[in-house]
Amino acid sequence: MSHKTTEPAPLDPVDIETQETEPAAGRASSYASAPGWLYAVLGGGLFLMIVPFIWMVLTSVKPEGEARRVPPTWWPETFTLENYETLFVKLDFPTYFINSVIVASAVTIGNVLFGAMLGYALAKLQFPGKRVVFALVLATLMIPGVVTFVPLFILVTNMGLTNTLTGMWLPFLSAPFGVFLMRQYIIGLPDELIQAARVDGAGELRIFFSVIMPLCGPALATVGILTFLGSWNNFLWPLVVATSEDKYTLPVALALYAIGQNATQYGLLLAGAVVVVIPIIAVFLALQRYIMQGIAMTGIK
Amino acid sequence: MKRTTMLTRTVAGLAVAGLVLSGCGREEGGDDGGPGQGEAVDEDTATGTIEVWAMGAEGDILGDFVKDFEEEHPDATVDVTAVPWEAAHGKIQNAIASGETPDVSLIGTTWMGEFAKSGGLDPTPEGLVDEAAFFEGPWGSTVVGDTSYGVPWYVETRVLYYRTDLAEKAGWSEAPQTWDELKQFAGDMQDKAGAEFGINLPPGGGGSWQTMLPFAWSNGADVVNEGGTEYTLGSPEMEESLEFYKSFFDDGHSPTRALDAGELESGFAEGTFGSFISGPWHIGLVEDAGVTADQYAVAPLPGKDSAPGTSFVGGGNLAVFKDSDNRESAWKFVQWMTDPAVQQAFYEEVNALPAVKEAWETGALAEDEQLQVFGEQLGSALAPPAVPTWEQVAAQIDSEIEKAVKGAAPVDEAVSTMQTQAEGIGTGL
Amino acid sequence: MSTTRHVDPTRRQQAVAAWVLALPFVALFLVFTAGPVLASLGMSFTDIRSTDMRSPFAVGFVGLENYTQLLGDDLFRKVALNTAFYVVLGVPLTMGVALAVAVGVNRVTRFAGFFRVGYYLPVVTSIVAVAVVWKFLYRERGGLFNTVLSWVGVEGPGWLDSTTLALPAVVVMSAWRNLGFLMVIFLAGLQTIPTEMKEAAEIDGATAWQKFRYITLPMLRPTLLFGAVITGIGYLQFFEEAFVMTSGGPLDATRSVTFFTYDQFTFGNYGYAAAASYLLFLAVVLLTVIQFKVFGEKD
Repeated sequence: MSHKTTEPAPLDPVDIETQETEPAAGRASSYASAPGWLYAVLGGGLFLMIVPFIWMVLTSVKPEGEARRVPPTWWPETFTLENYETLFVKLDFPTYFINSVIVASAVTIGNVLFGAMLGYALAKLQFPGKRVVFALVLATLMIPGVVTFVPLFILVTNMGLTNTLTGMWLPFLSAPFGVFLMRQYIIGLPDELIQAARVDGAGELRIFFSVIMPLCGPALATVGILTFLGSWNNFLWPLVVATSEDKYTLPVALALYAIGQNATQYGLLLAGAVVVVIPIIAVFLALQRYIMQGIAMTGIK
Repeated sequence: MKRTTMLTRTVAGLAVAGLVLSGCGREEGGDDGGPGQGEAVDEDTATGTIEVWAMGAEGDILGDFVKDFEEEHPDATVDVTAVPWEAAHGKIQNAIASGETPDVSLIGTTWMGEFAKSGGLDPTPEGLVDEAAFFEGPWGSTVVGDTSYGVPWYVETRVLYYRTDLAEKAGWSEAPQTWDELKQFAGDMQDKAGAEFGINLPPGGGGSWQTMLPFAWSNGADVVNEGGTEYTLGSPEMEESLEFYKSFFDDGHSPTRALDAGELESGFAEGTFGSFISGPWHIGLVEDAGVTADQYAVAPLPGKDSAPGTSFVGGGNLAVFKDSDNRESAWKFVQWMTDPAVQQAFYEEVNALPAVKEAWETGALAEDEQLQVFGEQLGSALAPPAVPTWEQVAAQIDSEIEKAVKGAAPVDEAVSTMQTQAEGIGTGL
Repeated sequence: MSTTRHVDPTRRQQAVAAWVLALPFVALFLVFTAGPVLASLGMSFTDIRSTDMRSPFAVGFVGLENYTQLLGDDLFRKVALNTAFYVVLGVPLTMGVALAVAVGVNRVTRFAGFFRVGYYLPVVTSIVAVAVVWKFLYRERGGLFNTVLSWVGVEGPGWLDSTTLALPAVVVMSAWRNLGFLMVIFLAGLQTIPTEMKEAAEIDGATAWQKFRYITLPMLRPTLLFGAVITGIGYLQFFEEAFVMTSGGPLDATRSVTFFTYDQFTFGNYGYAAAASYLLFLAVVLLTVIQFKVFGEKD
């Protein structure tokens, strides 16, 4: 067959392989090693990207006076763990950490799953009301969150969910961001896969779970990472919902100690920021290789 | 098909909502003309659980501190939840809106007007505390309309911080006491002591009113009239004060840019800034930045013709919520917190200055020189009017100060804009 | 042939399955979004303030007065212009750089993981740390940018103190911060492009640029649309960067519509703030429609 096709040719579902390893395995074999200048440029850019992060970590081990110094110092003149001590001694760290984990995990799992479900339906299925639902998704995406905050809080209170972890994650279990991202991604998947599965007699839901989902690694990982980030860092909502300290999440607890009425303790704040960022990076590292999962097709027919 | 029915339904929905809302309406005739002070509480000991919200470090310490109260009132338990300062205002707002409030909360002095007007706070009971026991400024911050809601708990006020060693070099063995002296002082710090800026003043925006209005107050200007019903920002005294404030920038005594966090203390330590105006929290910050105790001092603000001038007073008040289900005991707890001995003890834990005058007469507060300066200033310090719209009016004032200082508007125009804006916003009462 | 097309069994199965898949989102939407949105829309037609919240129905209905007042408010007009400028400058800048980085990171064979994490770090770095570093970069005296400029004999201005330069300065910082977010999304999108197609094109003699223009870009369309919409929505609502860098100054040069709305909420003017939010919503809808036209699928 001609190599000049500009669309993916029909595929036999059985031949789809998914790779979970570094791209080197699947793609570098057919690519020459990347040019040196690319590494140089990316490396230079990388340095610019990570400077604030490194400064944040370095400053978290400086005493408060040095942390506030202007112009800022780079390497600590005095190295101290007092900020971390304060953090772990004063804060009931395990409780806040677990609360954050529960809330962020619930929101992430919900968004990944429900976002994929509706995203697929919007991308590949025909059904009455499809345009309305998509319009609703976009509309919700476009509404500034600040405006629904107060009525939402009153609603959640009336549902008896104040001071519960459920009240912190339930309203955000399926946000339009995940739906929209999954829709855009799944649109790019070939229709022929689905047709073939239908011809083979698979039910619609079965097609979703067995055929489509495995191919969605990159998108699922992306939704997972970005949703986790948003939920983990969420400060305002958990603050307002929690009325007793044992329900606080980590960002709320950190603000409690670091930000005063008139002055902020920067060393402590940044130590808190470092602690808060570690799980996010952990989640990113765990999921980011799925973003690079490629779809190798065994041959263009 | 879908588009038109969707559209029709939306329009219908909005129309219904509109009808429902128009059926409700604001009751004209104002509210009940002030509820008057609350019913007095009895003399028995407190009972039940008293839920308290307190912000920041104060909240943190309070939890342990209340054990003494629980000893005196064995049938009562005090449950303290510490709340972050950031967004505490929103949290209390939401609590009042939803009816799910604690019994007692610490409330920032500038928030009182709004929360009182919303009906969320309980007026202070008759006879609970003696008004005269508190500094005048802080007590004023609890009075909304004619009624007092809550009591002052701790206070902060602003004084002049200056480098004594640089001042000596510039020929000043004492702090400036009048406006003219302050101007001279700033100039001398630069010319004779090598400071880059003789004084650092906030150039508008972000709370500058807390530094600028004291100049106006010292000059006899008032923000509102006697009864607190109208704004009186547009006065010749205000113009004069703003002119004076602006002159520091025009003559190069103060930078026109807002400083970054930490820049003030670092600059003070390095001698870039010879002086600045701030509250008690800066003692710790300045010493953290490396300034030693013999290098700096605090002094009361210069007045127009004599010290002390009138300063700004802020801090926190304790209030009981309307939706509290343990009103009597809650007020008893508040009363206990204002006992001079308790105020002193609390100061020792948290360094929060007591609002009760008697607490200043003994102990560390009476003996420490620096603290005595704050104590003296508290005797001549004012709080802004406790009206619900103050935050918005203050933001307008900040904005006009910025325009005047940076030359974007002449002083008289800035002041008259302050007045018209404030009138437009109203007091909200 | 007694049945018409839409009773075709596969179609019906699809419809049923689709509604099952849609159920969680729709249910959550109806419970947690629809109500609050209608309530806040209602609020925008009243003069409700935070002090009314205990009796929210005892407020005055003012019709479109909040909206007309906003359009006549000098400050609102100014922040609207600021926001428009921010979007027009920021979206293409962020998307362009993020796309370039994504293509680059996708291409490298070694250290790819490092690059991915590294470019993502600004997104998760505390805004406090970011602000300190960037304020240092922008300082008038001693700041990195002005120091570099002085090497070529140019005297750099006070970037964040200038009413004309502050906003572009914040946009640049924002693009730097957010490109990692977009990079992740674009990387995912790049995975849908079969390598075989690119190889085939290479064999046919296409240059890197041609491959990019004729294969990568068209296949990335859905992802680019997503990126543009999300970034557009995000930038129309920009707030945090200006809040920490310049507090909306100098003289409101970096104040955004969201900042304005936030202020109004803090002042307790709930009705006015709600109206401002819905005007912003209209702007978002408009921008999104335009982006769909530019990037959308032709289906």
